[in-house]
Amino acid sequence: MVGSPVLLIAIPLLAAFMIPLLGMIWKELVRIIPGLVLAFMMISSASMLMYVTNNGTIIQTLAGWEAPWGINLVFSPLTAFLATLMTFMGFIVWLYSYRFKRNVDFEPAKKYFIFLMMLVAGAVGIVITGDIFNQFVFIEITGISAYALTAFYTGRNSAEASFKYLLMGALSSSALLIAIAIIYSQLGTLNMADIASKIHLMPAGYKVTALIFFMMGIGIEAEIFPLNGWAPDAYTEAPGPIGAAFAGIVVKAGVYAMVRMVFTLFDVSGAMDILLTIGLITLIVAETAAIRQEKLKRMLAYSSIGQMGLVFVAFGIGTLEGVYAALFLMLNHAIIKPLLFLSGSQLVFNSKEKLIKEVNGLGKYMPFTAVLFALGSFAIVGLPPFAGFWSKLSVLTAAANEGMLLIIALILIVSVIEIVYYFRVVNRIYFFDKAEDLIPQKPRVNAVIAMSVLGAIILIIGFNPDVVSTVLHNASADLMDTPQYIKNVLSAGQSLTN
Amino acid sequence: MKKLIVILLLAVTGYFLVDSFMDLGRTGPVVETGVKDFYLDKTVSELKVANTITSIVVNFRGFDTLGEVTVLFLAATALGGILYKRRHHVGERSVLFPSSPIVRAGSKLLFPAIVLLGVYVFIHGHLSPGGGFQGGTIIATGFLLMLLAYDNFSVSHNVLSFIESFAGIFFVLFGFAGMWAGGTFLENFLPVGTMNNLFSGGIIPIVYILVGFKVAAELTGLIYTVLHEKES
Repeated sequence: MVGSPVLLIAIPLLAAFMIPLLGMIWKELVRIIPGLVLAFMMISSASMLMYVTNNGTIIQTLAGWEAPWGINLVFSPLTAFLATLMTFMGFIVWLYSYRFKRNVDFEPAKKYFIFLMMLVAGAVGIVITGDIFNQFVFIEITGISAYALTAFYTGRNSAEASFKYLLMGALSSSALLIAIAIIYSQLGTLNMADIASKIHLMPAGYKVTALIFFMMGIGIEAEIFPLNGWAPDAYTEAPGPIGAAFAGIVVKAGVYAMVRMVFTLFDVSGAMDILLTIGLITLIVAETAAIRQEKLKRMLAYSSIGQMGLVFVAFGIGTLEGVYAALFLMLNHAIIKPLLFLSGSQLVFNSKEKLIKEVNGLGKYMPFTAVLFALGSFAIVGLPPFAGFWSKLSVLTAAANEGMLLIIALILIVSVIEIVYYFRVVNRIYFFDKAEDLIPQKPRVNAVIAMSVLGAIILIIGFNPDVVSTVLHNASADLMDTPQYIKNVLSAGQSLTN
Repeated sequence: MKKLIVILLLAVTGYFLVDSFMDLGRTGPVVETGVKDFYLDKTVSELKVANTITSIVVNFRGFDTLGEVTVLFLAATALGGILYKRRHHVGERSVLFPSSPIVRAGSKLLFPAIVLLGVYVFIHGHLSPGGGFQGGTIIATGFLLMLLAYDNFSVSHNVLSFIESFAGIFFVLFGFAGMWAGGTFLENFLPVGTMNNLFSGGIIPIVYILVGFKVAAELTGLIYTVLHEKES
């Protein structure tokens, strides 16, 4: 085991404070240090994932006070899986954007890399913390990094997108604080496991109000239907790799926080149905909106929202199979959507309006990028033998086992819509003629490596889905087993006091 | 129609919010033995700190404070990146108009007193109300006064960024020191001394002084950035 859970937070924080100083010594360090930190986080969480699979959950207390009193970090199969996924994606995004603004602008590049690193660290913090107020702090860290990255290209549109995101984020923070205040006023504790063990004492009215405000607060990060107004603008206006980071990292953290609330913290009956309904509405609205889009990144953003809807549908089924399917979908979406964003932003690199019709005929001029974009498209709509097929299949079987036939029908209809708008783009790439004045962008070496790693993972999972099934099975069993979670966290504290 | 639905939804949420908060303090918690008694007890018996809020903020929930300090750092960094456009010229339609001689003379007199008060507040964070965040903010108001009084008053961005970075680095390093000495991150590893002494409370005053420096530097930097928008 390399490192410990707290290092996944402390090291990036230390590095973030040091980067402004190191940048004065040698400018290249502002690029190298975040990469090293992200690589360390990736290796450390992967090795801890291995340790957790064999030896059970790691509970780390902080500041010397055990579970209900101090803050603790929980590294269970589920959180380890998500942390590994996020840090891996963070490293890939860093690799892709390593030469970003090189030799041009020092200050923006410094900020870009600090924010990228803190985005990943904040998202990992949301996942591994065992304390709701601490989670709120990490949601703030992630949020502020995300607003700053959205406004990175200082222009009118990106300022508008960022401001929209900022307003909604501020609203979500207040909603979260209200929910936390209600819970603390009734149960006198902020520790998740402690809350979960005492939630049955709380009056039903408070419980429902708190849950609704939690959903409002976290829903904005998780892109659920009425709260996702920021997402299309932010994805479109942020730099390409940041769109990939949003889809692969931030949204996953939001979904985790939401699911942790519903599955572990609250015992409200019918919460699953809320997830299912919200998921279905999000799925249908987003996918029908995606088909009307003319800008490539905007289309990908709506598709990303739709996929999150599908994840919530799978969680809302509520069975172990459903959770497995949802985690599988999250894994696949976290790999495929960033690939689409990275290759897609290469395709529209030199076009002004970033419209879908501007990718016409680029298949001949940018063969490698085009192939990867096509691979991503095939994978995300769920064509066999690519990764997306298996996750969609597992959602459908989970729904079928519960007899939810209407939901299966809806998912399949929506998949057809998805096929239409993705294949439209692939069709344009290969079978249309290129516009005369458009210069194809040759991808840099680091971008090629980043994209081909993602492509390779899609093929590996596609041909051999068993490579991830153990990890996913452990993670889904971990999420469903609330008593074990409570026991893990609180008994670690008791053993310390004795 | 759309607006009607929005108003309706807001009304429903508002009703439940008011309903929950109306008798939130009156009925008392359902769980009487929350974490609060433990905090009150341990603050006096183990940490020897007079200000319970300080001991919660810096010790029990020190990790949150580290996070909040980072939030402030990120916000300050982000603002510097976003505010870039027009420079406001001294004169009409500007925040930097020349101030009256009374303000100039008075601010020179007040500035050291304000900074001294800020330093006092964060050094005595573990003994009296206040602490790093409050003290830092007071110091920043002193700089705000100077910046408003003298339009040629300038603070060095490099110095501010040095203070910010070093305060943050030492905060994390103290966390690591606790890990090395006691086993968990941010654990108190210094002797706590006697209660109500200036030198007591282990690492709590040290961390709060670092927070004070950091907040002061960051807020001053923020004010400076807002007043002196860079030309693109």
